[in-house]
Amino acid sequence: MTRSRLRLAAELVGPLALVGVVALVAAHLSTSDQTDAINVLVTATIVVGLYVFIGNSGVISFGQISFVAVGAFVAGIYTTPVSTRHTTMPDLFGFLGRPVLTNMESILLAAGIGAVFALIVGLALMRLSGLSAGIATFAVLEITYDILANWGKIGPGPTTLASVPVTTGVGQATIGCAVAVVLAFTYQRSRSCRMLRASRADPLAARGIGVSIFRHRLGAFVLSGAICGFAGALYVHALGSINVTEVYLALTFSTLAMLVVGGSQSLWGATLGGILLGILSSFLSNAENGTSVFGLSFTLPNGLSSIIFAILFVGALMLFPRGLTRNREFLAKALGERSDKHRLGVGLSSTAARGGDGPEAGDTDGAPAAATTAHAAASAEPEK
Amino acid sequence: MVRRRWLKAVTALAGSIGLVLGMVDVAGAAAAAHHKAATGKPIIIGAVIDETGTMKPFDQPAVEAAQLWAKKVNASGGVLGRPIKFKVFNDQLQPSLTRSDALKAIAQGASVLWTTCDVTFATPAIQVGLSHHMLVVSPCTGTNEMGPSRFGAPGKLAFSFGNAPTSDGAVLARLLMQKGWKSATVVTDKLLTYFVDVCQNFTTDFQKMGGKIVTQLTYTTGDHTVTQVAQKAASTGAAATVLCTTTTPTLPAFVTSERTLGNTKPIVGPWSIDGGFWEPKSATISNNIWWATYASVFGDDPNPQIRKLYGQMKSLGETPQTGGFVTGPTALQGIIAAIKRTHGTVKGPKLAAQMVKFHNVPTLSGPVSFSAKYHAVVGRPYRIVEVKNGKPHFVEMLSPGKYAGGA
Repeated sequence: MTRSRLRLAAELVGPLALVGVVALVAAHLSTSDQTDAINVLVTATIVVGLYVFIGNSGVISFGQISFVAVGAFVAGIYTTPVSTRHTTMPDLFGFLGRPVLTNMESILLAAGIGAVFALIVGLALMRLSGLSAGIATFAVLEITYDILANWGKIGPGPTTLASVPVTTGVGQATIGCAVAVVLAFTYQRSRSCRMLRASRADPLAARGIGVSIFRHRLGAFVLSGAICGFAGALYVHALGSINVTEVYLALTFSTLAMLVVGGSQSLWGATLGGILLGILSSFLSNAENGTSVFGLSFTLPNGLSSIIFAILFVGALMLFPRGLTRNREFLAKALGERSDKHRLGVGLSSTAARGGDGPEAGDTDGAPAAATTAHAAASAEPEK
Repeated sequence: MVRRRWLKAVTALAGSIGLVLGMVDVAGAAAAAHHKAATGKPIIIGAVIDETGTMKPFDQPAVEAAQLWAKKVNASGGVLGRPIKFKVFNDQLQPSLTRSDALKAIAQGASVLWTTCDVTFATPAIQVGLSHHMLVVSPCTGTNEMGPSRFGAPGKLAFSFGNAPTSDGAVLARLLMQKGWKSATVVTDKLLTYFVDVCQNFTTDFQKMGGKIVTQLTYTTGDHTVTQVAQKAASTGAAATVLCTTTTPTLPAFVTSERTLGNTKPIVGPWSIDGGFWEPKSATISNNIWWATYASVFGDDPNPQIRKLYGQMKSLGETPQTGGFVTGPTALQGIIAAIKRTHGTVKGPKLAAQMVKFHNVPTLSGPVSFSAKYHAVVGRPYRIVEVKNGKPHFVEMLSPGKYAGGA
């Protein structure tokens, strides 16, 4: 097997193995601790969903949690018993009040709705870049939140959707996270994603060789929407309830933080960030109720877990500004991928040679991907 | 001689009486010692509450007061010989942690689940309790959602010892009518369903009682419009402003705005504005403000037991800021009453079947009644507190009357 094939295999196997390890450990935990493990896996699925768009396009989006929210509510409503729906949400539209879906049907529907919603939003927003894109996607989050929180015809409004069947166990959360990883991997090997990455490094050059940035961004946005909707369904089926405040600002910023700390431009970074920070957050929160590590029992004072988490988060960003994985895929360095320094040099010189201004403002990190620009530019056919 | 014999006889009689009394005392002490031997299997209440976030001011005093009350119960023999034990978990209002904490509480032997005072935050824990067929109680949730109205048939096992919003609305309407404030401006903070429900119920009841609503205004805590809303409210000419909101950060801003614009008319609110901690320092601004609550935390509550409990909490450095702390012992008294009625069982369906029949069950906060329709307390009398020249004080007890049940 050539080194490039090994690198390719490691790119997929690394994140999948990490997910597998979490599942293996979770299988031996108590029921209550399994809840935490399931939450970690579902959160990692959301982070992989964010990576598909943010990591590949370099455009910050604050709106992906809207797709999680829509997916969660659709899956939740359609699996809640009809009688409970009528009692707790008497104003629902007729089409939401009747059919009862199975767990799997609801998950697929959530993914589909997430994709459709992302397509509608993306058609309007995917021409934007940088700060404007960030603000516009934030507006999408706000609009989604306001509609879900106030319109009783499409959900419980400000109250909690309860009595959703709890069907997401360790097995389903693991498979769900693995599916998201495989989808993200498959996408990042596609021609469309390579062109998108080229546009991330140098939009002008990408346009110059005929890459339709809008089209490729839209593709990534829709796939990200589908994965986020899918994750939303896992989320609601793991908890058995959902309130619109759970899928709003806190989840938006915590998942973005996980992506950035892990390394926003690699699938390995997204998976590692989601799982590692998820475990850390869960451990610290539980430590406020008392925990033990290697036989040493201790209880953190109330409120300290958030402070420790924030300090560790800042520390991680200071020590690893490009994430814990330095935006590399699993074992990429060991298997002979060129160093960041080298890639950076190539990127800058190639950008300078074209007289470009470098990455756009607001892009997450254009430099390492600049090498991809050259690759994409060399391999991509001009688009019609 | 006769006199000496008489004295001897009296002495002997006194000695006998003393002996008998002493024996009685010893027997009493033995009986008390017997009561103290609450050596049965503990009844564990798993409290999944918030000790760090926005619900902390409500959850923590209630559970701390309940733990003090449990000590007292255990000292006098427990519940049919079984001591009450609390296991407290800080859920930090995180849904996943709330669920796993509830599962941990059950794994650690909890027979009854005790949740945070907001049904939205509590839902993951409530559902765990319901799925394990346990009795689930909240000490002070102020909506009627702890029950079938939110959780369908399984919700029959869930109850709140807080007042139903119908009761809160009705008592405010009665207060205004009693004071002769026959027109009102209603200001609703849309942050919580509770605020919306209370103000809606007030509006309906006040109009039924012959009052006039001059205007309805709304804002949402965090939208930074409270000052503009206060300006509008100040100029309506209504006899009183009824405000359904929480304390900080918007309430001080609202009150200051109204008073600065020269409106000195009463500002009236439900339990959620209880506690003097939020008041602006100026005696002219913090004046003519009224609320209806569970207990007065200003040292003048009419119930000596409440004053004593308040003193105990204060001496432990856990001074409650609102009267909601009494809902903790109230909920515990309710649980104990249900256990006694079932002759000692802690099975959720049996306890709930008794609890739903509660009719004026005496508790620290007053009589508690539930029904199939209301799994929150309806009709319990309130303490009316007035802030006069910067100082809050208890005014009177007021019952919500016939509209408490949304009549």
